[in-house]
Parts: sequence; structure tokens; C-alpha cells
Amino acid sequence: MASSPLEVKSGPVDVLEIAPARWSGRAAVTFDSSARVCRMETRVEELHALCEWLTAEAGYVFATLVVEESPAESWSLRYLFYAPSGLRAEVLVRTEGPHPSVPSLSDLPEGPSYDWHEREAEDLFGVNFPGHPRLGDFVLHEDWPEGVNPMRASFDAARRLETRESNPRWRAPLILSSPGSFAMPIGPIFSDFAESSHFLLETVGEDVVRTVPRFFYKYRGLEKLAEGRPLDRVLLLAERFSGNAAFAHALALCEAAEEICGVEVPQRARVLRTVLAELERLRHHAATITGICHSTALGVAASQAALIEEDLLRLTCQVAGHRYLFGALAPGGLCFDPGEAQCERLKASSGEAAQRLAQLHSQLRYSSSFLDRLEEVGIVSREAALSYGLVGPIARASGVSRDLRKLCPYLAYETCDFPVAIQHEGDGYARLRVFFQEAQTSVAIIRELLNELPSGPVLAGAALTPRSGSAWRAVETPSGAAFHYLRLHRDGTVARYRVTPAAFVNWHGFHLAAENFAFQDFPIILASFGLSNAECDR
Amino acid sequence: MANWVFIGLRTGIRTSPYPRRADLAPGVSPGRPAPAVAYDEAMAAAAEHCPVDAINRRGSELAIDENRCVHCSRCRSGADRSGIPWESGYEWGAYTQPAAAREALDRRFGRSLHIRFIDAGACGACMSEARQLNNPYYNITRLGFFITPTPRNADVLLVAGPISDAMRTPLLKAYAALPAPKRVMAIGACAICGGVFGPSFVCAGGLRELLPVDVVVPGCPPPPLAILHGLLVLVDRKPPREPPKEGSATPSSQAPQESFP
Amino acid sequence: MSLGAGLLVSFFALCALGGLGAFGVPRGLLPRWIAGVGSVCALTALTLAAIVLVGGETFHITLWPVLSLGRPSLSADRLSGLFLFVTGLVYLPVSLFSSHYLLKHAEHRNLRYFSLLYHSLFAAIALVLVADDAISFLVGWEAMSIISYLLVTFEDREESAQAGYVMLAMSEAGSVAVIIAFVLAAGSQETLDFAALRTGAAMLGPSLKWAIFLLSFFGFAVKAGLVPRNSWLPLAHPAAPTNVSALLSAVIVNLGIYGIARFALDLAPVRSPNAGLIVLLVGSVSALVGILYATIQSELKRLLAHSTIENMGIVAAGLGACLVFVSTGHEVAASIALVAALYHLTNHSIYKALLFVGTGLIEERTGTRDLDRLGGLIRHLPWTSGLFLIGVLSIAALPPLNGFVSEWLTLQTILRSEELASTPDRVLFAVSGALLALTAGLAVTCFAKVFSMGFLGIARSNGAARATEAPRSTRWPLGILAAACIALGVLPTYVIPVIDGASSPFVHASATIALVPPFFDRESQQREHVPETFLAEFHGLGSEVGHDIVPGRGLVVLHRGEERNPVVFAMSTSYTAIVLGLIVGASFVLFRALTWRRRLTRSAAWDGGIRRLWPGITYTATGFSNPVRVVFRALLRPTTVEDSTEAVATHFRTAIRREDADVPITDRLILGPPVRALQQAAALVRRMHVGHVNAYAGYVLFALLFALIVGVVALFH
Repeated sequence: MASSPLEVKSGPVDVLEIAPARWSGRAAVTFDSSARVCRMETRVEELHALCEWLTAEAGYVFATLVVEESPAESWSLRYLFYAPSGLRAEVLVRTEGPHPSVPSLSDLPEGPSYDWHEREAEDLFGVNFPGHPRLGDFVLHEDWPEGVNPMRASFDAARRLETRESNPRWRAPLILSSPGSFAMPIGPIFSDFAESSHFLLETVGEDVVRTVPRFFYKYRGLEKLAEGRPLDRVLLLAERFSGNAAFAHALALCEAAEEICGVEVPQRARVLRTVLAELERLRHHAATITGICHSTALGVAASQAALIEEDLLRLTCQVAGHRYLFGALAPGGLCFDPGEAQCERLKASSGEAAQRLAQLHSQLRYSSSFLDRLEEVGIVSREAALSYGLVGPIARASGVSRDLRKLCPYLAYETCDFPVAIQHEGDGYARLRVFFQEAQTSVAIIRELLNELPSGPVLAGAALTPRSGSAWRAVETPSGAAFHYLRLHRDGTVARYRVTPAAFVNWHGFHLAAENFAFQDFPIILASFGLSNAECDR
Repeated sequence: MANWVFIGLRTGIRTSPYPRRADLAPGVSPGRPAPAVAYDEAMAAAAEHCPVDAINRRGSELAIDENRCVHCSRCRSGADRSGIPWESGYEWGAYTQPAAAREALDRRFGRSLHIRFIDAGACGACMSEARQLNNPYYNITRLGFFITPTPRNADVLLVAGPISDAMRTPLLKAYAALPAPKRVMAIGACAICGGVFGPSFVCAGGLRELLPVDVVVPGCPPPPLAILHGLLVLVDRKPPREPPKEGSATPSSQAPQESFP
Repeated sequence: MSLGAGLLVSFFALCALGGLGAFGVPRGLLPRWIAGVGSVCALTALTLAAIVLVGGETFHITLWPVLSLGRPSLSADRLSGLFLFVTGLVYLPVSLFSSHYLLKHAEHRNLRYFSLLYHSLFAAIALVLVADDAISFLVGWEAMSIISYLLVTFEDREESAQAGYVMLAMSEAGSVAVIIAFVLAAGSQETLDFAALRTGAAMLGPSLKWAIFLLSFFGFAVKAGLVPRNSWLPLAHPAAPTNVSALLSAVIVNLGIYGIARFALDLAPVRSPNAGLIVLLVGSVSALVGILYATIQSELKRLLAHSTIENMGIVAAGLGACLVFVSTGHEVAASIALVAALYHLTNHSIYKALLFVGTGLIEERTGTRDLDRLGGLIRHLPWTSGLFLIGVLSIAALPPLNGFVSEWLTLQTILRSEELASTPDRVLFAVSGALLALTAGLAVTCFAKVFSMGFLGIARSNGAARATEAPRSTRWPLGILAAACIALGVLPTYVIPVIDGASSPFVHASATIALVPPFFDRESQQREHVPETFLAEFHGLGSEVGHDIVPGRGLVVLHRGEERNPVVFAMSTSYTAIVLGLIVGASFVLFRALTWRRRLTRSAAWDGGIRRLWPGITYTATGFSNPVRVVFRALLRPTTVEDSTEAVATHFRTAIRREDADVPITDRLILGPPVRALQQAAALVRRMHVGHVNAYAGYVLFALLFALIVGVVALFH
């Protein structure tokens, strides 16, 4: 755990300088200067050593694993990494055959970062990862037929599996053995408006020893549905798989497509995209704060936050025509130009929201009954956050200052100066403070950018000309870093679309916080994470 | 120590005037394509953009399948948003069956209706809009609507999402746990017909496939007032928006539209 | 020979027949033999006790002289009669139950030997109760102790051997104290019969009286399982075969109370309120400690054994209150306290026997008595569960069952402390009242856990899932005991005069007049004892009407005889039972009427929509009571062991093992320090064993030097 990729290193090593010599004969290293991606192709046997070197010595952080089957039964696995220098790295291994097998990386110190990606690939593609102790029963639940892997090229996305029998003897694996121990089941349908997910709280009564989460009740097969569809339709999917961060995900897709097709987005659209992304973050954080206040049963505070949230939704609707920013983006820019009046409104209203949030924060700070329920509850240590590769506000509340807007700036983030909110306690209150601080930062960015809004068109003049190729983008969504990998066919249809949302990474770390706590704190820990299952499950 | 009582009182009343009067606050609803427009060349071009084939021609007028519309804005093409005009409003709740085939809910439910919300793969926008029903603006408890944590105490299932297969069993179990008389409401395009996710290898694509649906609230997502309208329709406190009859271009009931200039 | 003496002799003869005759009975018939002869013995004892208790029959048998210690003699007063009656009432159903229960032992255990022990134990208990001199008392007492030990170790397992050993050691320590108490009391008297002891003790000085009281109290407290001598009981009682456990917990513990009462009220009363306060506090603390450990237990027999400590604590608290009231001259309060204590003792014997026998049946049907592995039994064993439920409701002291009556009376008695003059006494009464109230609350928690986790929900083991109802013959013993629970619960006004008959000679006042005045009975001779204000109060309440409707007495009430607020307390389980019955019946009728011609559907419990409920995700008994464990962590001080194992890397945990070990609080606080001191001394001595020859030579040298110095010093003096 000592190798904390971003902080311990004095400065990340330039992979390009040393990698060719270090890995000569073992990996083919090339550098794509336009995309600033270092590509390393290696053999299956070398994968473990190369990835270990890349994270432990070169200071890179694992982003996502992209499995592609093209043509049938010919496999390429792309391990994507990013570094604080803004450089990105890609490790590629190829293998053949109906039962591909690639060594598991989950025994590395950063193993947990790979853990869920490997489980997902095993479930959906049937790629085996020898050495992984917990494969199976992840995305596809126990009623899914054994040996059917929906992401394989041979599987028809429109085919319904009609009758599904599940083994009645199937049990979620529980590991607590103590006289009288049992598991408290929560969900999948629970609470008033909780998203569908299932938790087994292993306990001997009162104190919960361990939480076993079970997700993917909302798996809608986003990546499979995207395959073979035109980009335009895939944009609809990207917006609608996670309504809470619709704009951020659509943005990542559009940017990837623009990179492949070589479209230059007009400056005004770039700035407006940044503004809208921050508006979405502001609303998302207001909703999370509402949830946290609600979970502690602090009714008035929850109502105050809910008023701010609804006001922001209405503001978004006035500015962009949709309360959740659906349909705002198009490859090449924006679908609309809000105009001067709406920009002024946005500036004024977001400033007012910031003021109200600041007021709410100062009121909450003096509510001891509220703080008692958040402080030292659901702690994620910095070491665990690094090992699990956590992202976004959750990681920043545990002292890991990873923010893609700073690490690899995109859009207009290069030009504006803003602080990265960071707290070190890793508890529920630290997360709440991060949400409050980031909301303020978002408003500051919106107001700064709107002051110097360039004029011009919002949509690239020339229509998108389809090209074949692939690209991947890292975008800081409201809940953290999301990675979108896109490969287009020559005709503009999507060959492979891989989405790794922040919720997928951060839900993995949820069990760290939900450990050795009193049962009544569970809803609070859940709310303080503010994560979406829709985003995780896709 | 913050004085929450005082803070609450100082905020004052923010409740929406709906359903007594129309809520005209800007941004309560994104609106949707207006169906009653003459069909011409520009409209035909705009209809081409529809990704879900919700825009059709019926005689000389435009016919819009509200249940399929995913509010993608593409029919108002271009940066200036020309194309098919969008209407404001939110009274979108409609029965799935004609009045004759419906069995009216006892009048007693009009005063107090308990609702169990079920997320069957919803993206978060529908969920968020349903959650807003409890915020001080909409505050559905003032109208006798309550969200319950268990279907045992509920009268209505409020379902959102394209019905992912993993949620099929929980959904059916919740329906079975509902005491009679039971009603089912589908909110959002996904729950009505699968939306952009459609029927697929992991989604049933619409609640109809599993359960008898009584009221649908189209939209992607339907704004809180639309969901509220759906609930009021269910207990006969608001007239429904009747589904368009076959062969007729104009929807039969335009009454709610009058209040929105 | 009087009728009583005849019955007693025939009782002992029957016991001898049962014990010795077993050696002539074929093996296959032995369970029935034990059940048959045992029940006849029990019936004889019951008849004898009944004529002594109700009929006031007395007898006196003088036996042959033993050495120079005088002639042992047997007689019975009503107190003995009451204890003998309770013994018989427990022995009868337990014997009946044995005929079925022992079948499983018939193959591989020596049941002849068991029969000998079983009947000898009965005889020894009876001997203790009817002994009229120290010699026969001690003979009976020792015989009872040793036979109980042999029965505890009958099953020949390692834990029973160890538990039996602890029990024997503790019990012998108690016996020594009791013998010394007898010797002190005998003083200069020539004979050891109780009459002589009474006159001898009356002449002793206060310090000797105190010594006798303390020795006898702590000596007998061992048997009753009172703190600080309680830790053996939860080990030993569950170790025995279940029918013996029932006897140990329902009968043998009573003898401890009998001894304390016999000494403190009859043979050598101290006449100091402080003695009573000691008993009261020890009793209250025992009650709380007992129920606390019972609540966190999930092994059913051990739980019941802990609850025995609790109940004996409540009895001791009542007895202590009685001693305080006697010595401060509040005879009526004392009589109520003693009646409450003896009533509770009777009740405890009955429901504890019911619960133990029920546990035996459940263990036989399911193969386990661990509540964490039971569950859902009410569906498979409806009769057993229903009868067990009556025991559970009784022990949880819920009206209108018997536990409620006696616990309520005990608490009310303790609230009578306002009559005491001394403030410290009142404070101690208040403290013990609070402890008992907490105990009562925890008892409800504890037995709610027993029933909900054992009988409701879904089965958590295969044994519990496949259990079938017990054969009809085995339900009879449960039925007898359950009927007794209900009768003692709803008819307190008939029970109190009987117990009062046993207790009033010692406190010189009658609780009957105080508690169950015959104001319904206009023709009664005793009506003149009832003050007019009292009658006026109840005329106002409509007792005249009640007289016409409700036959007989039904109200337990205490009256102060003053104009203002004359009624101190009033309670009627009889009427409660009637009203409860009416409410339940009316609800049923109403429910039926409301659902008439409606379609009723039964569906599974709402489970959050998971695919299926399985036992691993339902509450366990340990989980149910864990909040109590957490709240009382400071008292219980569990030592927790937690470790986990991982696969591949530390973030993949494959097992977490966690165990809480509870050290009984009395062992830790009272018995622990001397044991630790002893161990430390031993460790010091061991440190001298360095293993070098030189060192040992040095020790020898030092020892010699020391001896020399001592010798020289002694020489010069």
C-alpha cells in the first residue's frame, strides 16, 4: 500500500524516456504525440510485471480495462492508465481462442482497482483471470445461464432469454463465523426512493462487521446496446444511462468522437460545455447534500437543500431546455446557444445558489446532533482510497487530490484557476465538506467563464465526417473520474463503447466505509457516498 | 446551534399552486413536442431527426406518440431551435385503457393514497424527479399522497425504468405484496415502452410486458408536476389526458392546455 | 400411627422399592418403571403435603438413637408441607416425562443405576424437608448433594464431569458452613433436635447469632445459586439429563431457600433489619445478574439455568424484605413479603419444570437446544409450542399467569418500604426495587427472544426444519404443568390463604386478611376484620354487583384502613383473564364479521424483493439479545477474539472469525482476585525454579540460615 501513485513519487517518470529501454524485447512501446498516449503492446506473460512497473515505479494510475473481441475469438485487452502529467498509457495484450485467459492483477498493491474490472470482463466476455479469488456472480446474477457471455460478438443483443431458472440452493458467500452471526438483508427494494441494490450486512446483531454489496440489478447492457448503432443514437444512451450525470457522460462520448473524427469544437461551445458541466456538478452536489441531510432526519435542512436543488433544476431547464441537460450536446459542439439573457440569469442564479449553500453549510456546522451522526462514521482511509483507486469527492475526502480537471485538463479548465477541494479525515463529514466546497468551486468557475464568454458559433460548421478509429477520454463527472473508450467503424457506427463511470469504482470502495459500524448508521454512510447505481450498473 | 425551526419559518411557503391553479413558474417542465401542428416540409425534415420514431403524420397534421418521445430536442433542430414547436405544460398523465374498461378506484383513495416507488432500472433522472415530489415545492403529502417503504402498505406501484431482468422478480414480488385494490403507474418513456433501452437481452422494455398498467406518465423524465398529475388522475381528482383515438389527428381532450398561454 | 406418618413411611418405602426394585426389572421396562413408581411416589408425597398444608395434619416420628447425638426425628409443619407439595408437583410430570425421555438412554446407559439415584434423590429431598433435627437434616442434605452430583455426571461427558466437580466442591463448601452453623446453634444443648436448637439459639449473644445467620445464609445460598456462589449452577444444571435438570432447577434450588428460611425465621432468628437487608440485596443482585446472563445466552438449557438464579434472587429478595419487616415490627408487611416469596418459589418450580421438560422434548425432536439453530417450531410442533408458550409467558411475568402474580406482589412488598423508619433502609429498598424492576424488564426481553427465535420465523437448521410433533403421551406432563401455571395465575385469591397458612406462624400475622379480604362473602365470619372504609371503597367500585356476577373472590388488594386513598394496591388476574378472554373472543368474532364473504389471501412476508429468504439472513437469538450485550458491556466485559484470513492479498478476506467469551461477573469480581493472587504467588514460586544446581544449593543455605536464626531467637526468649 506504500506505493501511492500520485503523491509519494517526487515526480512521475516520463514513461517514454525509459520504457523502451526498460522493456526492450518484452514490450513494443510507441507514442502517439497528438493524443499524448504511450502505447505498450506486450505478451500475456509480461502483463503482470509491466502493469506493476507502470503503477509502482512510473506513477501511473489504473483507469479502466477495455476488452474487445474483433474479429470473433480474437481478443485484445487494453489496460488504460493516466498520470498527473496529463500523459496517458495503454497496455495492450492479445490472445486467441474461445476461452481467453489473462493473469489476474488483483494481487498487486493496487489490486482492488483491477478487481471489479476483471470480474466484469469475466462475466460479460468469459475472459478468465487465473489468480483472481472471486470471479463469477457479478454483473449477471445467479439466474443467468452459465457459459453465456452477452458481450461476445456472437451474442445477439436483441435476444431475450425467456425462461430463467435459478438454483434454489444458491447463497451469497458470507464470511463471518461467530456464534449466532447472520446477515441482515437490505433491498433490492428498500427505503422510500433508494435505488435498486442489495446489501447483506454481516452481523451478530447491532454492530455490523462487514457489508456485502450486490449490484447490477439495473444492468441495462449499455455497452452491448451501443455496438453497431450510429453515434447519434449512442449519444442518447450515454445521456440516459445515468440521468444524474447525463451531460458529463455525453461530453466524454462527444469528445472521444470528435477526437476520432478530428472535429474542432468552436471556442464558445467549449466554454459553454464547461459551464454546463459545472452546473450539473452543482446540482448533483446539492442533491447529495439533500440526501445526507435527509438520512440524518434533519428535516428543515433537507428541505432547504431540496429547495436549492429544485431551483437549480428549474434554472437548468430555463438555460438548456431540459432539467437534466438531455439533448444539450451534439458531436461538434452544443445543440443550442443559451444567449445573453440566459447567461446573465445563470450567473445571477448560480451565485444565489452558492450563497444559500454557504449559509446552509454554516448552519449545519453548528448542529451538533447532525455532526455527531456524520463525524467518524464511514471512514475510508487514504491508503485504502489509493489502493482501491477511488476517484472524485470520495477520494478527495480521504486526502487523495485526484481531479481530472486539474490532472489532465480538458475543455476550458486549462484556462481557469480553481482550488481542488480536499479533506483528510475520510469520514462522512469530510465528504459533506467536499461536496459543499466543490459546489462553491463550480459556481466560481461558471461565473468566471461566463464573464469572458467568447462569441461565435456553438456547433462546428462542417458536419461530422465518420472515420474509423478509437479514442478514450477521461472526464471528471460530478461523482468523479469517468473513462469512455470509443471505437468507430468507417460508416460512423460504434464498434465498441466502454464506459467506466466513477460510481463503478467508488461503489467498490463502499464496503471499506461500511465496516464495523452500528446498524443505524447505514443509511447515513450510504447517503454520504452519494453514488448512483444507475451509473455503476449501466 | 442552528435554530432550524426559525430557519424553516423564515423560508416561508414555497408550495406550488398546482393542482388548484396552474403552476407557471419557469423551468417546472421542459415541455414536449406539440402534436397539433400542420404537417409541412419543415416538419417532415424535423421528424427525420426523431431517433425513436415518435413523430408521424396523420392526415394533414402531425401526430406525436408521447409515450415514445424521449425529449431529445432533435425535432427542434438547429441552434435556434426551429422545427417542431414544443408546448409547455405538464398534465401528461393518461389512462392506458378507455374509460369503459376501467374499474374506478374507491373514492376513499382520493383522500389518501400510499405509493411504493420501484426503480426497475431507472437512470436517475426519473428517480430524481419522483424524489422531488417530497420537496417543499411539490410536497405531495399535502394532497394525501404518501411514499411508503413497503408495498404491504401501498395502494400504487410507481415504476420507473425499462424493467431490467434482475428487477423482474423483486417487481413481481412487490406487486404480489400489494393489497387489493392495486394500481400500477408507469412513469417515463423507459417504463412505458423501454425508451432508448428498448426490449433487449436484459430489459423487458416496458412494464406492460409484466403487469397491468393503469396510468402512464410519459416524459424523459416526466417532471414532478406530471407525476403528480398522474397520481391525481388515478384518484379521479384531475381529468386524464386521453390517448388519441385511431384515425383522429387531434387528441380528444385539450382542456388542461388552456391554462398555459 | 397417624395418617401423615403412615404416608411418610409408605413414601420412603416406595422410594426404596423404586430404587432397589429396578434391579429386578427387565431393561426394556425400566423407563416405564421409573415413570410409574416415580409418579406413585410423587402422588404419595403430594397427598402427604396436602394434608399437612391444607388439613393441618401433624406427625412426629422418632427414630433410633445415633451414637451420642440424640434420637433423630421427623416431623412436618406447614412450611415443610408447602415445599414437599412443590416437590411432588414437579416430580409427578417429570416422572411421566421420563418414561419417554429415558427411552433414548435405554440402550447404552445403566438405567437401573439411574433409577436408584432418581428415587434416592426424591427420598433425600423429602428427608431434608421433614427432618426435625440437625442429624437427619444433614444426612438428607449431604445425600441430596452427592446424588445430584452423580446425576449431573450420569451422562459421562467431559463437560458434565467438570461441571459436576465444580458443583460438588461448591456444595460441600456450603455444607461445611451449614454444619458450623448447626454446631454454633446447638451450643451447650444436649440434643440436636430443632426444638432444642430453637431454645439454645434464643439464649445466644448477638454476635453468635450473626455468625449463625451469615454461615447458614451463605451456606444455603450455594444451593439456591445466589451471588456470589452462583457460577456453578449454569454449568451443572444443563449438564445433567434434561429430566434431572428440571429437578435441579425446580426443586433442589428450593431447598437452599428452605434452609435460609428455616434458620433465619425459625431456628435462629437474628432480629436485626441488617440481616434482612443483606438477603434483600443479595437477592436483587442475583436476580439482575441471573437475567443478564440469561438474556445473552442462546443455549436453551443454560439460559434456563441462568434464569433460575434470577428467580431465586427474586425469592430471596422477598424473603429479605420479610426479615426486615419482621425485625422492625411490621408483621402484616412481613407476612405479605413471605407469601410473595413462597408464592414465587412455587411458581418458579412449576414453570421452570415446564420449560425444562419442553426443552427436553424440543431437543429430542430437533437434535439441538441452541436457539440460534432452532426457529419456526410453532408450525411443526404446535402443541408443544403452545404449552411452552404458557411457560414462557409465566416466566416473563405477564398477566394473568402465575409469574406475574408473585413478581407483582414482591415488587409491591418492596414498595412498602415507606413504612420503614430508617432512611438508609428505605434507600436500600429503593435500590433493590429498581434492580428488580430492571430484572423484570430484561426477563420479558429474554423470553421474548426464547419464543420468537425458537418458535417463530424460519428454521435455521435441518433438524428444526424436519421436526415433527411429539407423541401425545409426552404432552401430558407439559399439560399438567401448564394447567398449574394458569391455575396459580388466575386464582391467587385461593392460593394466598394456603401459602399464608405455611408462612403465618413465623411472622405472627396473616396475609390473607390483608390481601384477600372476604368482602364479597357477606356470610363470612372474617368479615368483621375488614374495615368499613375498605368495604365502602369497593361498594363504590360495584363489588355488590360483582357479587352477583362473579362468583367467589377475585381481587388481591391491600388496604391501609384510612379515609384518604385507602387502597394501597389492587390487582385481579382472575378478572384480567376474563377480560382478556372476552377481548380475544370479541376480536376473533369481529375479525370474522369484517372479513365475512371477503376473499382472504395469504402471501409471504415482504422481504425487500430478494429472490428467497434463507435462514442465514434472518435474525438469530444472539443477534436479538446483542443490544443488551452492548448496553451492559461494562458489566459483562466480554473478551473478543477477532481474526480474519485472506486469499491472494489482504483485500480479499475469506473468513472473519469473531468470538465473545463472557466471564461471569461474580467470578471476575469476587472469586477472581483470590484465585489470581494464588496464581501470582505460584508464579513467584515458579520463578525460583531456575534450574541451576547452584541456585538450589543457595535456597538450601538460606533456609538453613533462617532456621538457625529462628532457633537462636527462640532459644534466647
